Amino acid sequence: MTARRVPLRSRPVETIPFPVTPMLDMAFQLLAFFILTFQPPTRETRIDLDLPATAAALPSGEASETSVVPSTDVDILETDLTIHAHSQPNGDLRSLRLGGVDVPSVAVLEDRLRKYRALLENRPLRIQVIPDARLHYGEAARVLGACSAAGATSIRLPEPSNP
Amino acid sequence: MPRRHSRADDRLDPNLTPLLDVVLQLITFFMMLVHFGSRIEGAEASIRLPIAPAALPSGDLVLERLVVAVNADGDLVVGGHARSGAAAATWWNEQAGIRRKELKLAAAPGQELATQVILRGDRDAPYGTIRQTLKTAQAAGFVHFSLVVEREERP
Repeated sequence: MTARRVPLRSRPVETIPFPVTPMLDMAFQLLAFFILTFQPPTRETRIDLDLPATAAALPSGEASETSVVPSTDVDILETDLTIHAHSQPNGDLRSLRLGGVDVPSVAVLEDRLRKYRALLENRPLRIQVIPDARLHYGEAARVLGACSAAGATSIRLPEPSNP
Repeated sequence: MPRRHSRADDRLDPNLTPLLDVVLQLITFFMMLVHFGSRIEGAEASIRLPIAPAALPSGDLVLERLVVAVNADGDLVVGGHARSGAAAATWWNEQAGIRRKELKLAAAPGQELATQVILRGDRDAPYGTIRQTLKTAQAAGFVHFSLVVEREERP
């Protein structure tokens, strides 16, 4: 007995419409929002300073002149440092002193501060920066930036020393 | 005789998929850049900011802020007008007075203000003039300062 073959009835091709238009509307709205709020990338940043009017908030002179001594004992490390930046007559940077030690360049200063910051672990690092009054602000800002980049907790600016 | 088509068969359906692809790519681009950096207001073309190896600031700027600039001569520049000496001190005291009045603070001049002063100093200005500007502002009652610099590019 042979099975009777039933011819398959061809179905009409169904197309499911995908509504792209609402999605496109939403996408255009998002695009408009981001274009309107877009700001081009900038290299501008800021160095925050807290400059209280009271002199008592500044570290004492004796502690601030302590030199950076490599040590493994965290408790005896000084947390208040002083950086002097001396200028040449034309306003360029002549020399840097971290505590009582000469530092050859701003890059080396930043490197030393980073290492010192790592030694201090979670203790705060407060830095006083004392540039000469006639030093170019661009040079002074590089010193301040090095302190900021090294992770100083606070940066203070006492009165400038006379050149 | 040629057979006539109905008008409904001639309808053109634009293909929106490539358009949508491009739009979504643009959205992705803008979304990725939207927090990449933010310009701090108060830029002046005449002020050349110092370039420094500064870290990115940990917090956002507070809403209450005052933007000032110091040009290469060391003068305070606000709204295109340069002030120096006593005129600058008067301006700082006026600004402090306005803020005290808004906050209904006591008229005590030594009382600290929460306003953040954003200072755009020219890189060629002597540091002493920048410090003097900060000192004058401190005397008026401002204690929170931000120095605007350009980040140094590093390899």
